Amino acid sequence: MTMRLWFLPCMLLVSVSTLRAQSLHERIDQMIESTPGFGNIAAPMSSDAEFLRRVYLDLTGSIPPFEVAQQFLADKSPNKRQTLIDRLLRSPEYARRMQQFFDVMLMERRPTKRVPEADFQEYLRQSFADNKPWDQLVREILSADGDDPKLRPASRFMLDRDAEPNQLTRDISRLFLGMNLHCAQCHDHPVVRSYKQEDYYGIYAFLSRTFIFTDKKRKNLAVLAEKAEGDVTFVSVFDPTKTQKTTMPRMPGLPPIKVPNFKKGEEYQVKPAKGVRPVPKFSWRAQLAKEITSPENVRFRRNIANRLWQMMMGRGLVDPVDFDHPDNPPSHPDLLALLADEFASHRYDIRWFVRELALTRTYQRSSMLSAGATEVPPDRFAVANLKPLSPEQLAQSMMEATGSTANIRRALGSKLTEQALYARLKPAIAQFVRTFGAQPGEPEGDDFEVTIDQTLFITNGPLIRSWLKPSGENLLARLEKVEDAKQIAAILFLSIFTRQPSDEETKDVADYLRGRTDRTQALQEIAWALLASNEFRFNH
Amino acid sequence: MKCTYACNSAEHEVSRRQFLAGSASAALGAMGFSGMVTPAAAKQLEKSQKRVLLIWLAGGVSQLETWDPKPGTPTGGPFQAIPTSVPGVHISELLPHTAKQMHRMALIRGINTRENNHAKGAIIMHTGRPEDPRTNYPHLGSAMAKLLGPEDSPLPGYIHVTPRGAAGFNKKDAGFLGPKYASITLADGKPPENLLRPKELSVQSDLKRNQLREKLNRRFGQRRRTADTEIYTQSYEQALQLMARHRIFDNTHESPKYLDLYGRHDFGQHCLLARRMLEAGVTFVKVTHSNYDTHHENFNFHIEQMGEFDKTFATLLDDLADRGMLDSTLVIVMSEFGRTPRINQRFGRDHWGTAWSIALAGCGIKGGAVAGKTNAHGTAVVDRQVNGGHLFHTYFRALGLNSKRNYYINQQPIPMADPKAEAIEEILA
Repeated sequence: MTMRLWFLPCMLLVSVSTLRAQSLHERIDQMIESTPGFGNIAAPMSSDAEFLRRVYLDLTGSIPPFEVAQQFLADKSPNKRQTLIDRLLRSPEYARRMQQFFDVMLMERRPTKRVPEADFQEYLRQSFADNKPWDQLVREILSADGDDPKLRPASRFMLDRDAEPNQLTRDISRLFLGMNLHCAQCHDHPVVRSYKQEDYYGIYAFLSRTFIFTDKKRKNLAVLAEKAEGDVTFVSVFDPTKTQKTTMPRMPGLPPIKVPNFKKGEEYQVKPAKGVRPVPKFSWRAQLAKEITSPENVRFRRNIANRLWQMMMGRGLVDPVDFDHPDNPPSHPDLLALLADEFASHRYDIRWFVRELALTRTYQRSSMLSAGATEVPPDRFAVANLKPLSPEQLAQSMMEATGSTANIRRALGSKLTEQALYARLKPAIAQFVRTFGAQPGEPEGDDFEVTIDQTLFITNGPLIRSWLKPSGENLLARLEKVEDAKQIAAILFLSIFTRQPSDEETKDVADYLRGRTDRTQALQEIAWALLASNEFRFNH
Repeated sequence: MKCTYACNSAEHEVSRRQFLAGSASAALGAMGFSGMVTPAAAKQLEKSQKRVLLIWLAGGVSQLETWDPKPGTPTGGPFQAIPTSVPGVHISELLPHTAKQMHRMALIRGINTRENNHAKGAIIMHTGRPEDPRTNYPHLGSAMAKLLGPEDSPLPGYIHVTPRGAAGFNKKDAGFLGPKYASITLADGKPPENLLRPKELSVQSDLKRNQLREKLNRRFGQRRRTADTEIYTQSYEQALQLMARHRIFDNTHESPKYLDLYGRHDFGQHCLLARRMLEAGVTFVKVTHSNYDTHHENFNFHIEQMGEFDKTFATLLDDLADRGMLDSTLVIVMSEFGRTPRINQRFGRDHWGTAWSIALAGCGIKGGAVAGKTNAHGTAVVDRQVNGGHLFHTYFRALGLNSKRNYYINQQPIPMADPKAEAIEEILA
């Protein structure tokens, strides 16, 4: 008996240390691949071309340039995938891609109200370029009051939501905790048993004393301010007795924060007065950043691990990403727990985490079902999930594919930087965002929806047509100079699909061109067909 | 004026919708890319498909200069009331042609929306409830696009024709129903953006490039999950079908007789365009007539505006009736609010949500009916007071829909119309 008790912890120690020796991406693959019957449904590894396109879209927000594709496909070194991942993660385009992804997630296409959108985006870009840890980024965003010029951009999260506590409670719980508490504002969630009204008001309480102060002495600068009074009470609309409940600020499932007591009249550092921004001695809002990122708040790390997983794998382990609760368990519960804990213990190092995901076999599988496998549920992660391109990815990829970007690169010459290039691409990206983006305040990309204006934009719109006019060294200009249909097909497919055409496809191109006297027109039609195809619209 | 539906039961609606959806998709398949000719059977369905025409008198038309005149009172202004085709019902003398249509129309004179703000009033009138930051309720147009529109129609379900402003696609209008039911704005009556094939591209070339696109898609779809790619593929079929029907957005295909009858001004031409689109099967068309915000010179302005409105509106009702469409088309004439009985120092009237009127005609409406009453000076509702919720229930019921049903959004029931209100039964056929 004694012996066995001694033996058990020893065993555990051994197994834990073996696991530790393994990198996270190996452990992910083990956990994904150890589910029953996985071998029968698993797709083979992606081809180099498939991988190249996918990882470029995920880590830089665009398909690769033609020359990069040529080089990568010709490269014979066995480590070329890892080398590429590492190169992309260090590129300025990675910071841009993460900026775009997180801007859409955090601001949900809200227009500028008090803090310029561009300032917030630049703040995010710089944060990802510096690989700022996630918890630090969130602390900055949730504590910035708009007063400190350095963190003024971060205050857009609250100021451009009018610092409205209900709006902020809904968004903070969804975006940082993976809890959609929308329904819990007026009563316990009717479907999700574990989402309680008191959870909603616990978060609400942090923000309940906050308001926007317009500083007349500083050109009406809007900053956050806070009162030192006001309690949070709530009543369930379903409660026939209308019992009034109250709560102090707290995270769901955690105890309320400790609030120091001040004598009446001594609550303020700066007392409220006309034209004066009051400052309480103890700010409830200031506790939010600390509480939400505290190690006890497991939801915080689960949420971000799950959202980054979704970004890479096309579906969250918890799906939808904002309904993490016991009745909607993750497809792989142990894996999500592992990812969350590892991410936190690596100090929320986003670049490291994304790298580990990109290195997995799970990420690098083909999106083609293996022969014989018909129905493979997307939550098995046995076949790569198709991901619709975001508006930014679609715009950037179309400009890259048509050589419009290459022309701008050439024009910039020695002044070429990611930022200079992006400034030139931005007007076109903005048109795509207007057409393909979600409504302000709505999550984007939850369900793939296509509207008629989008398809007409691609079919008849002047923007894409302009990219298909021969000019400089763009795709059409290059194609015009080539006689051989086989060569034409090779250029078209590598430029637009990041792969070589099959023999059948080469024949399709040759057939299309045969007998056409208006050759440029015919080439434009073929290029359009590729751009408008499913293969282009999705990251596969 | 009664609609030709069998009953109001939910089952009936479902089966009707399935029937429409089924036959529409069959037609789609058969047409393929050519898609030019609508089969006769589909044409027949389109005739009986229920539709809505909303005439939006932007800025707030005066009830006193239209549906609820108070001649000879301190608030009544200079205009008289005239008899209509319905004995006992009088409207403003600014509407002589419309007066002859009263047997097809119903008036609601007891509206109190308690809202004097343009934007908020517009929300109440479009969504049937006051603004609610927690829930994005859909516009009536989006709701009807969903509830009445054939499932697979290539036509947008909700089109807004406006004299000014930007063309566009307004996802916000659809609220929680999703962008599929968003409205499309036709600015100045021009066709939707990017609808027309570029001049340098022949029909033949467009067909060929789309065939190549389809071929690529088929190859890509082999051994891939297709739930999302199918949605994308279908959107191109819809786009091509809509392009093939571009004539419905173009009044130049109308005979000069109609161009004249409707009036050769923006509002007249836009109403004619609306009739074309409704006839072609668009579920909901909104035409904006602008701008009635008459804080100054209310009376001169209403002479001018009603002069445009009156004849066009009467022509429209006649035309819809002649074509056999009025029985299946609900026509609504409304604003975000009415105007104050008090006449201000600039001979204007100001914003007024307290006691005002709208007019309805067509599908499900009892001709000549009047609901609600304001006091002698028009300063308060004294009988049958209603708000935006009552109006929503009434529209639903007029169109043969059960207004007490729910939408289910994330499994959450959301009532289609405000459960605290009911339909105005006395004006329903």
